[in-house]
Amino acid sequence: MSAQVSRDNVITQSLAQIGACGLFLLRILAAVPLSLKHARETVRQLWFVGAMSLTIIMVCGLFVGMVLALQLYNVLSMFGGTAMSGTVVAIAIYRELGPVVTALLFAGRAGTSITAEIGLMRATDQIAAMEMMAVDPMAYVAAPRFLAGVIAMPLLCCVFCAMGIFGGHLVGVTWLGIDNGTFWSNMTATVDVWRDVVSGMVWKSLAFGSVVSLIAVYQGYTTPPTSEGVAYATTRTVVASSIAILALDFVLTAFLM
Amino acid sequence: MTDPVRATPDDRALVRIRGLTTVLNGKTIFDALDLDIPRGKITAIMGPSGTGKTTLLKHITGQMRGDAGEVRVDGQSVPELSRDQLFELRERIGYLFQNSALLTDFDVFENVAFPLRQHTKLPEVLIRNIVLTKLQAVGLRGAAGLMPTELSGGMARRVALARAIVFDPMLILYDEPFVGLDPIALNQVLKLIRTLNETLGITSVLVAHELEAIKQVADHIYLIANGKVVAQGDPKTIANDGSPWTRQFFGGDADGPVPFQYPAGDYAASLGFPRGGA
Repeated sequence: MSAQVSRDNVITQSLAQIGACGLFLLRILAAVPLSLKHARETVRQLWFVGAMSLTIIMVCGLFVGMVLALQLYNVLSMFGGTAMSGTVVAIAIYRELGPVVTALLFAGRAGTSITAEIGLMRATDQIAAMEMMAVDPMAYVAAPRFLAGVIAMPLLCCVFCAMGIFGGHLVGVTWLGIDNGTFWSNMTATVDVWRDVVSGMVWKSLAFGSVVSLIAVYQGYTTPPTSEGVAYATTRTVVASSIAILALDFVLTAFLM
Repeated sequence: MTDPVRATPDDRALVRIRGLTTVLNGKTIFDALDLDIPRGKITAIMGPSGTGKTTLLKHITGQMRGDAGEVRVDGQSVPELSRDQLFELRERIGYLFQNSALLTDFDVFENVAFPLRQHTKLPEVLIRNIVLTKLQAVGLRGAAGLMPTELSGGMARRVALARAIVFDPMLILYDEPFVGLDPIALNQVLKLIRTLNETLGITSVLVAHELEAIKQVADHIYLIANGKVVAQGDPKTIANDGSPWTRQFFGGDADGPVPFQYPAGDYAASLGFPRGGA
């Protein structure tokens, strides 16, 4: 009985959180026109969440591509299909690994920093100070970070995919000896710009960027103004973002295929 | 018909509070509180910790709304203002936070310049001159390039004060402005508060516990306890007031109408001793 009540409470609270997050999104969207006045702040945030995430995205992209090529080479060599390694690496990266892994890394690197920063701004009364200076924190703090995340994610995803394919080429062609021309020609012949690159990489990364940024900003903005509250909010950002990314990936894949 | 939001401003009281009742988490903070902040004067709000002094400032600035009663600033009913109207009002109010609340991304100069950059299109030269003038007033012109993390608590408070006065507001609310100040800085801040009041006619509200400092600068003192004003008057009158509230508060006694101990059970029983002693 009590387990049932507890489960009901968890479900109710989760739905309430999703509802509150949705309303928060509407507040952010309403503040976006006003935030254009603070374009410099959006650019600054773009630097922090985008440019500062480049190293981790590039390194991880490279290794994901290298591992993928290595695994595929071993499997495809059983059927004499190693020439298709480049094609499979590209499709896997464009359609799934690029947007999903980039979003997971983005949540861990940029999402947590957004949540912690806004949470600490609350804890140290900086948000209240802005309100008192007649500056809308939704337009100055929340909207620029949200916009920066939405813009940065597709760009980071492009970098991840490029590095992934470069990693695949490095292992497949340079190390394992697949013919360079075969590697590229099979890839260009099979990968479709709209189906694989635009549908997979662009739309998915835009959706993931929006969701991760929304969760990060929401968690920071609504966290209790204590050190414990900020710590919990940061953890919740990673957990909620990871679940949301993977669940949304399934839904988007089902619709985009 | 008179607009309840924009009634005629009272000539004498810039802030008028009538019958303010606020209950937070089941605890009554204000119980039909009546209070006036006279224009162009320095008013101190004093009282025991947890009595709602900062909460009162939040009511005046519209950060909080009471359960009943009226809060008017310059004739405008604060709880009835729309968000835009509230922001318009706040542009004319300076607020010094207890913990300074400096923006940690910006250096001292940019913190003070922040309100000017957000609300005006002044040329950079003019912004620079205004900011440096304010920083000179609080003795920190030389610290313009420092980041908030490089400042001591007292310096951060003075920077926050410079930011609060950068617009020459009609009303400044100081929440614990003297905490962490050394005697030199304290004296300079007192002089600054007095100068702002005398030269620009700025109305000031001070929430503080330092009676000696308050005596030097305040024109009027309100002593708040149990959700009401229990004593008021100029510093001389209130210091000599013989009521049990003022005697206990200014005398620092543990015994009196304000309980020092938070409500608790039997002390001896808490320590594990039998009731009535050995």
